[in-house]
Amino acid sequence: MSERNGGPRIAFEQVWKKFARGELHDSLRDLVPATVRRLAGRGPARDELSGEEFWAVRDVSFEVRPGEALGILGPNGAGKSTILKLLTRILVPTRGHCSITGRAGALIEVAAGFHPDLTGRENVFLQGAILGMKRREIRSRFDEIVAFAEIESFIDTPVKRYSNGMNARLGFAIAAYISPDVLVIDEVLSVGDLRFQEKAFDRIQEMCTSGIPVVLVSHQLERIASLCTHALLLERGRVAKRGTPTECIEAYLESARNSDPAAAHMSGLTFDALSLESSLPVRSGERAHFRLSGTVAAGDDAASRDFTLRVRALSTGRLIFSASARECGASLPEGGTFEVDVELQFNVAPGVYGLELAVWDAETRRDVVSGPGVTVRVEDGALTFSGTSHLLPRARVLPTAKAAGASR
Amino acid sequence: MIAAETGARDDLARDRRRLGRYSHIARGTVFRPRLRDSSSPDMSDLVIARDVPAAQRRSLLRDLREIAVDELWKYRELLYELTLRDVRIRYKQAVMGFAWAILMPALIVAAGTLVRFAMAYMSGGHVARDVIAGMAVKALPWAFFVGAIGFATSSLTGNLPLVSKIYFPREVLPLSATFAQSFDSTIGAITIGIALPLLGIHYGLAALWAPVLAILVFCVTAGAALFLGCANLFFRDVKYIVQVLLTFGIFFTPVFFEPRMFGPLGARLMMLNPLAPLLEGLRLSVVEGHNLLVPLVIVGNKGAVVAWSPWYLAYGATWAVLGLLVSVLVFHRTEGKFAEYV
Repeated sequence: MSERNGGPRIAFEQVWKKFARGELHDSLRDLVPATVRRLAGRGPARDELSGEEFWAVRDVSFEVRPGEALGILGPNGAGKSTILKLLTRILVPTRGHCSITGRAGALIEVAAGFHPDLTGRENVFLQGAILGMKRREIRSRFDEIVAFAEIESFIDTPVKRYSNGMNARLGFAIAAYISPDVLVIDEVLSVGDLRFQEKAFDRIQEMCTSGIPVVLVSHQLERIASLCTHALLLERGRVAKRGTPTECIEAYLESARNSDPAAAHMSGLTFDALSLESSLPVRSGERAHFRLSGTVAAGDDAASRDFTLRVRALSTGRLIFSASARECGASLPEGGTFEVDVELQFNVAPGVYGLELAVWDAETRRDVVSGPGVTVRVEDGALTFSGTSHLLPRARVLPTAKAAGASR
Repeated sequence: MIAAETGARDDLARDRRRLGRYSHIARGTVFRPRLRDSSSPDMSDLVIARDVPAAQRRSLLRDLREIAVDELWKYRELLYELTLRDVRIRYKQAVMGFAWAILMPALIVAAGTLVRFAMAYMSGGHVARDVIAGMAVKALPWAFFVGAIGFATSSLTGNLPLVSKIYFPREVLPLSATFAQSFDSTIGAITIGIALPLLGIHYGLAALWAPVLAILVFCVTAGAALFLGCANLFFRDVKYIVQVLLTFGIFFTPVFFEPRMFGPLGARLMMLNPLAPLLEGLRLSVVEGHNLLVPLVIVGNKGAVVAWSPWYLAYGATWAVLGLLVSVLVFHRTEGKFAEYV
C-alpha cells in the first residue's frame, strides 16, 4: 500500500499473533480426526484461544519512519523474534496489520541460503537473489562484498570448505551490501573475530544513520543505546514501555531484577529502604550519600550478614561497580535492624546510573535477595574526560637527560 | 510499576474480551511512540488516531495477480538462481555428467522393451522398432514427472533454514525443482530427437504437437509439485506416500503399453490418468504422425477401440490448467503458515 506521506516506513498496527504449544498435526493421520472435529463445529474459532494456544504478540503497534531506529528489547520469550518474523513477512499476524513500504533488508541468520557444494561466488549470487537483489546489482557490488568478507582468495572454493568464520563473514557481507529501503536487524552483531565485529558494527551504524527506517532486536543493550532513536520494551508479548532507549533499558533492568523472588527465604537478610541522601543531580566527580536500612534475622552465620552494592550504567545495562558491604567497610550487626550510610564518588561520565542492592550467594552464583534500587542522574561537573570512568589520572613531565645535565 | 500494570492485565479471559472489542480492527488506530518525552509513563497519550485502509478481502483474481506480479515476476531472478543451483549441484562432483540426464529414460525404455518382448513372445510376434520409439517418447516425460515430483516434494522441507528465516515467495522452491528437472529433460529430448530417425521414424507435421504437449506436461507437473511440496511441509508422511505412488505409477500410466491394449473400456479408464492423454498424444503425434485433432479408432479382432479422440486432449489440457491453478491457489493461501508448521 502506498502512503500519503510517502517514503519508506515500517508500520505495525495492533498486531496479535497466536501460537500453539506442543505438537501440531505432523502427519495426515492426525489431520483427519482434527478436520472431522472442525467440520462438526467443535473446533475453536480463529480469534479464540484453544487449550494449547497462547498469544506470542498481543496488540503491539508501532511505526518507524525514515531516520528513526527502533530498538526492541525484552526478556527471552517476550515476542521479539516473533515481531521480527512478522516484520519480514515470514509469519502472518493472526489479527492486525503489519506493513513495510519499500524493499526490506534483513540482517538475520545471514548464511541461511548457502549451499555447501557451491562456491563462494555462486553462493553470493544465490543468497543475493534470496534477499531480493537483482543479478546486475549483485555483480556491481560483488567486489565490495568479497573485500568486506576478506575472502578474496577463497571465493571460488566450495563453501563447505570454509571455516565457520568465513561462512558467517561472507553471509554478513552480502546482507550488509544490499541497499534496502528499510532495515531489520536481529542479533547478528557477533559475527567473526573482534576486528570483524567492529567492522560489522561500523557498517550497521552506517546503514542505521543513512536515514532509512530501522528496527533492531537485541539483547545487547549497548547496541540499542548507541544505535536507536527510540525503543520499545516487550513483556510477554505486550508493549510494557516505549520511549527513549535509556528509559526502556532502565525499565527492562528494573523488571529483570525483580524477576526472581523464589529464593528470598534462603537468606536471613531483608532490605527495607534505600534512598539517596544527597540532592539530585550529582555532578560528575562528586560524592553522593545513600541511606539504606534492613533487618538481619538473629542467629545467622557471618557469611549471610553481608550484601552487595552494584552500580549500573542504565543506558547500556553494563555493571560498572560491584562490591560487598564488608569490602566497603560495613559489618552488619548479628541480629535486628540496621542502617547503613554509603558514600560513592561518581567518577563517571554524565548519564543515568542505578544503584542496586542484592544478597549474592557465591555457591549458586546467583542473587538470593534482590534489594531495592535507586536511580542517580550524573551531570557534567568538575571532571572533564571522555570514556566511561575517570581513572584519577596524574601526569607530570619528567625532566629529560639534557635538562638534567644542564641544571647540574 | 510497569510490570505490575501489565501483570494485572495479563489474563487470557480478558484478552478474549479485548479482541471482541477490536472486531472493528480494520478502522483501527496507530500507536506511535513519542520521542524524548520522559513525562509520559502512560501509553494512552501516545495514541494518534489515523485511518487504516480496510483489510482487502481475498479474491481469486487478486490472489492470482499477487502470485504472478508481486511474487513470481518480482522474484524471477531468484527462480533462475535456484534453478541454476539445483542444476549445478546435480552436475557437480558427479561421475556421470550429462549422461545422468538420459539414464533414467534409457532405463525405462530398457525395462519397457523387456516387458514388450515378453508380451510379443507369448503372442508369437516380435518387438517392432516403432514400439521402442513410442516408449522412448513416453519415457522422457514420465522420467521428468517422477524426477520433478521427487525433488519438489521435499523442496520446502529440505530448505528449512530458508523457509523459517528469510522471506521470499515459497512458490519458487518447488518451481525451481521442476525447472531444474526440465533442464535434464531438455537434454534427454534432444538426444531422443536425434535417436528417433535412427530407429526409422520420420517426423511429420503432427510432430509439432510435441511442444504443446510438453508444456501441458510441465503444467501438470508444476501443479503437482506445488501441491505436494506444500502438503509435505504440513504432513511429513506425504513424502512416503508420493514415493510409493511414483514407484508404481508407471503401471497405471501408459508408458510401456498403449491404452488400446486394454480394450474399449480399459482404454477409457486408462485415459483418466491426467498424464495418460498427454503421453499417448506425444507417441501418436511424434511416432505415428497422427494429428491429434482427428479421432483414431482401431478395429481389432475383439472389436473397435477408440485409441485417440480430441476430447482426450481437452481432458488432459483441462487437468493441466485447472490443476496448476488450484495448486497455486492452495499454495498461496497456506504460505503464511509455512514458517509455523515447518
